[in-house]
Amino acid sequence: MGEVYSNFMRSLLSSEFTISGEIDPPKDANRAAVEEQVKHLKDHVVAANVTDNPIGDVIMNTLAPCVIMQELGLEAIYQATCRDRNRIALQSDIIGAAALGIKNVLALTGDHTKMGNHPQAKPVFDLDSVLLTQTLRRLREGENMAGEKLEHPPKVHIGVGLSPGVEPLEPEIIKLEKKIEAGAEFVQTQCIYDEKVLERLKEATAHLDIPILPGIAPLRSVGMAKFMQANVPGISIPDEMLAKLEKSKDLTETAIDIAAELIAAVKDYGFPGVHIMPVGMDRYVGEMIARSGVRR
Amino acid sequence: MIITRQKPLEEIKETLSRYKGVALIGCGGCVAFYQTGGTKQTKEMAAKLREAGVNVVALGVSNRQCYLCEEKEVANLSDAERIRKVARELEGFSKLEEAEAVLSLACGVGVQNLANILDMPVLPAQNTLFMGRRRVEGDFDLEQCIGCGNCILAFTGGICPVTRCAKSLMNGPCGGVFNGMCEVSKSRVSEHPVPCAWIEIYNKLKKQGRVDEMRKIRPPKDFTKAAHMRKVAWGL
Repeated sequence: MGEVYSNFMRSLLSSEFTISGEIDPPKDANRAAVEEQVKHLKDHVVAANVTDNPIGDVIMNTLAPCVIMQELGLEAIYQATCRDRNRIALQSDIIGAAALGIKNVLALTGDHTKMGNHPQAKPVFDLDSVLLTQTLRRLREGENMAGEKLEHPPKVHIGVGLSPGVEPLEPEIIKLEKKIEAGAEFVQTQCIYDEKVLERLKEATAHLDIPILPGIAPLRSVGMAKFMQANVPGISIPDEMLAKLEKSKDLTETAIDIAAELIAAVKDYGFPGVHIMPVGMDRYVGEMIARSGVRR
Repeated sequence: MIITRQKPLEEIKETLSRYKGVALIGCGGCVAFYQTGGTKQTKEMAAKLREAGVNVVALGVSNRQCYLCEEKEVANLSDAERIRKVARELEGFSKLEEAEAVLSLACGVGVQNLANILDMPVLPAQNTLFMGRRRVEGDFDLEQCIGCGNCILAFTGGICPVTRCAKSLMNGPCGGVFNGMCEVSKSRVSEHPVPCAWIEIYNKLKKQGRVDEMRKIRPPKDFTKAAHMRKVAWGL
């Protein structure tokens, strides 16, 4: 490991259990909606991701919440997808983000334009997540894709995604190996609800030297659980978890409990940290972590 | 093959409405194999148009409408003589002089080739979709090649990710693969479920004992070779 630029990377390199969170930007220009989420996450996570128009629905861009949250003292992980920007725009955006103080970037492929509320839009995908990772490293090392030297390179740490529940898993792991070769320094995964998936992830990545933060997200209802199981790739939700939700008299409490159990399981499996996607439950993230006991 | 689908009859009628007589020219190439614009479909189209009140004065089928004849061969001929030269006669060619327009049942290349040879308007009866082949499983035509100008099929098990991956990814599947299917299969704007190209590539390479081809980082696509409009010179 060379130079360390961010608190998030510093934490990953330490023996501490690293917790990252996630901010959902609003679909309008509501700055307060960002501030509210930051307020709830700030004291509980080292850094938080800002999504890049997930599913392809139009929301506030990634950069604005990143800057707002860093002003408020929460470090940002800037998610960049290949869906809407070609190599010119991606490089330009990262250079600008670095100038505004962004120190972590998560390089993702991005959902297809057909999945969102603007399905007629032109899908770009000029680069893919491996090539975006490679580009970020090249920029950081002081050169853009045209080979021009940069006197002030964007000093950002590079993260990548992983879907540990997909079948077959081997192509996904091959792709992760390529991302590591291309310069990836940390991994945050798609959400996991099943300990079997955690176990599988652990086994499949045992040969790789990179910190992996399994993703977890609270389940707020049986409907949400069933929807995710049926529609989100690689998601399996154990029957006991569904039963717990079905019997629940207080869904918020149950959601916090389930999230806490998952966070604890992530630590038990020996992962160096966890990535929490609050999906609207940001005010309870502190409680999820407290109940999990990982900070004791 | 070039995959086409006939335009709705209403749309064709609308484009023909300003012409008093129309000649129909089908094609013996891709559209004949795929039964959208061959002899049979040209006759059927003529019948439908006549029923709708269109004055179809002649119909014929060209051999390959995308490759008809040298421009100089027809330079001194009248339009009717040119049509006669390019189309195998089926019916009514003695009345060709009455045609004010040609309705072509060929693909977009054929339509443009014919339009380049004739002075009179040449109108398309088809929507030209893509270069593809029929998939027996599922009974649909699937795009196979976008003509990107940088063929990588050697490394991908003969399955093109630039064309058959919805995101044209170069380095493996995205996280959207769902039970072997592409995420766009779940989109409400998708007509057919489509398999994930990268899972197909992986399975094929595995069968061939060369999954290692997937381990190499493939470079970004070069759009200098794929941006419109493209041309290529002979003798290079």
